[in-house]
Amino acid sequence: LCRGGLAERLCQLQNRERSAISFWRHQCLSDDKIPSDKSGVLIVKILEIFEECTIQVAICQQLEQSSAMLSHEDAVINAEEPILKVLFTRETAAHLKSRPQDVIHIYPPWQKLLLQNADVPVIMNTHFSQKVLLSEHSEARERTYGLTKMLIRKNIISLAQTFRLDDFDDKLHQESSDNQVPCAPQTHKNSDSKQRPSALSAVNDSLLEMVESQGAVGWREVQVRVIIQRVYCLPAREGYRSHTRGNQPLCATPVANSRPPNVRLCLLVQDAYGMFSEVQLQSLSSTDDIEQYCRRWEGKSCCLAGMKILQRTTRGRALGLFSLIDSLWPPVVPVKVPGQSQDSEMMTTNIPPPSFCYILTVQSGEIHVEVDEEEQISNLYQPPAVHGLKEILRMDGCNERCSFWAQVLYQRLQSKHSVPIDQREMLLFVTDSTLQNVVHGIPRVVAVSVTASCVLSMEIKEALSADSRLVFFKDALWGNGRIICVERTVLLLQKPLLCSAAGADLSELTGPVRLDELDSTTQANSICALRGTVVGVNESTAFSWPTCNRCGNGKLELCPQDRELLYCNQCSEVVTTPVLKMQLEVFLSCPSLFESTVKVKVWHEISMALFVLLTLLLFLQTYEVQSVLGKEVGLLNCYVHSVTSHPNCVVLEEIVLL
Amino acid sequence: STLPAVAEELLREIKKAFQETSQVPDDLLLGLKFIFGPSAVPALDLVDQRSVTRVRAPSGRILYQVLGSSGKLYTCYSSCHFCTCPAFGFSVLQKSESLLCKHILAVYLSQAMGACQELAVSEEQLTNILLAEEEDEG
Repeated sequence: LCRGGLAERLCQLQNRERSAISFWRHQCLSDDKIPSDKSGVLIVKILEIFEECTIQVAICQQLEQSSAMLSHEDAVINAEEPILKVLFTRETAAHLKSRPQDVIHIYPPWQKLLLQNADVPVIMNTHFSQKVLLSEHSEARERTYGLTKMLIRKNIISLAQTFRLDDFDDKLHQESSDNQVPCAPQTHKNSDSKQRPSALSAVNDSLLEMVESQGAVGWREVQVRVIIQRVYCLPAREGYRSHTRGNQPLCATPVANSRPPNVRLCLLVQDAYGMFSEVQLQSLSSTDDIEQYCRRWEGKSCCLAGMKILQRTTRGRALGLFSLIDSLWPPVVPVKVPGQSQDSEMMTTNIPPPSFCYILTVQSGEIHVEVDEEEQISNLYQPPAVHGLKEILRMDGCNERCSFWAQVLYQRLQSKHSVPIDQREMLLFVTDSTLQNVVHGIPRVVAVSVTASCVLSMEIKEALSADSRLVFFKDALWGNGRIICVERTVLLLQKPLLCSAAGADLSELTGPVRLDELDSTTQANSICALRGTVVGVNESTAFSWPTCNRCGNGKLELCPQDRELLYCNQCSEVVTTPVLKMQLEVFLSCPSLFESTVKVKVWHEISMALFVLLTLLLFLQTYEVQSVLGKEVGLLNCYVHSVTSHPNCVVLEEIVLL
Repeated sequence: STLPAVAEELLREIKKAFQETSQVPDDLLLGLKFIFGPSAVPALDLVDQRSVTRVRAPSGRILYQVLGSSGKLYTCYSSCHFCTCPAFGFSVLQKSESLLCKHILAVYLSQAMGACQELAVSEEQLTNILLAEEEDEG
């Protein structure tokens, strides 16, 4: 149950009520007389009983107090005595075993409810009820009745009867108000809330207190001071919830892909009590630079006002968010403990990591986040702990957040065509000096998987396609022997200003990058270097095609005007000097991997000048086999497509590193 | 029948109290427990967790989706009392032991307290949600 939520409060009230009921009943039994305090006691005589669901409804006549003293027979039904409908729970009814004509004393606290269209008031919460036996005669009758079972009519309730919570004037307001404002019934009350004295002066430092005391409608006046631990982007989806893993989607059909990718800037903030909250801010356009926000905002304190609670999520439902929170736990400075005065001892050890987190968002149209950029970095801020890749690969545990600075050597997009480009997974092959200088046992290059949920800025995407770059991976996830970039991971081009860099080497790589050589431990979807001798050629895969020398477009067409010239659609120009690409699969014998067949798809680009010669040679079909067989192929960089045993075969493709 | 009118009035009182004070007084919470029995606390829990979404199509057709505690998504109709959860089938339809299941109660409470999440979908999407329920049961 949510701490501080309505459910928890009801549980507490219910427990108290139950103890009060059993105590009262016990007291009634032991005293065996009507308690002297008559104030607030309702005295009723049952006329008719029926059941609806598990509630017993008794149509009763309310008796005057004085008439309680009269004998049973004297209590004549007077048409002027008020009629009541008294409800009893199944449990109370079983205790009372009431029948028509019984007189019941109902002790407080009971509740009266007046219905809109009915004259008869309803009495509820009748737990403290007692049947009163007024004469010996009735006592005897009671005993006999106790032996026979009374049949009570049960009303079946129609499901067509729904509840209408709005009054007529509410309904009018609802229809006229803007559809986009969530929770419409509240709109006509907004002006009222503004007139209330505002508490803008009070800046609170507890997120939980704010959430608990203000309720869900939104806090307009009060501000909370927090520090920003992390800034990141989340892909924005309609009906975003962090706990839809494994559930049916809210919409049966996916949201249209033609819309531009929508990302929201988010902050992970922490208050003085150590509690976290994720704040979702405005949508970012593709030109906005997440790097700027990270640099300017992380570690600074800010004031939140007018937030709306989007959700309260728990560890089990938001593993990604909590893995990030765990990486920031325990706090580096002592945090306050709720319920104790500010001066008392503040402790940080022994507090367990948080199990719930509120996700807040701004009220539509207004942003109430004031970041104090000029201020110093807060002591509570925990910058990402940067490690060398070697250290990360040796980490225990699963779903740990890790940060590192590495050189990206090669990028490979997942090739599933059914998935739109912006949602495809990508593999980045990275290395750093800790891996390059290793001798044995640890790979020199590691594949980092970037899922579609990790938001990449335009700048990063362009940089990754252009050349080999040093990239800072902030809060990537390590688990099951893999590093993956998911939601809340941020890729940045600049070195972090502030980071606990114990043991991390942020220096550039000296010397050329070396890849692992192909051997028996090589796995699929990795990159490696190989050398060997050509022992065979797959002639059916020999393929050559002209490409545009300007843009590299491989799908050139014949010029409509002059069918001897080639035309590039992407450049919208004739290609006078096409670059010829040739592709061939060769079988190699590699000294490092004797037992396996190694098949490599190699490709080359050659210029126009050689084009003619090669065409001739290909036509003769003597060139490939003779001059290629036995040829030494030295240190080719390749991407491993697959590694199979039975038969032992490794299929690779030559690649060019960035 | 009496109980539905009582339940409706109780929910209206809760809505009124919440609109005026942003709080639900204790006696109304106990009233919820009195009328709805074991569904009351779980329903409030669903409200605390903001588990209710009002799904609306351009035609004005509405239904509610409630994320249950097990992680399953249940659909509640707005035009009559119906929920796709097994408890509804058992307690309400079969045994007539309850007026509502906790999900439907959560829908009403979320309406009363302005805690519904809103989702606008196309006609087709809403139809698909309704038809998907049919397939499950078939």
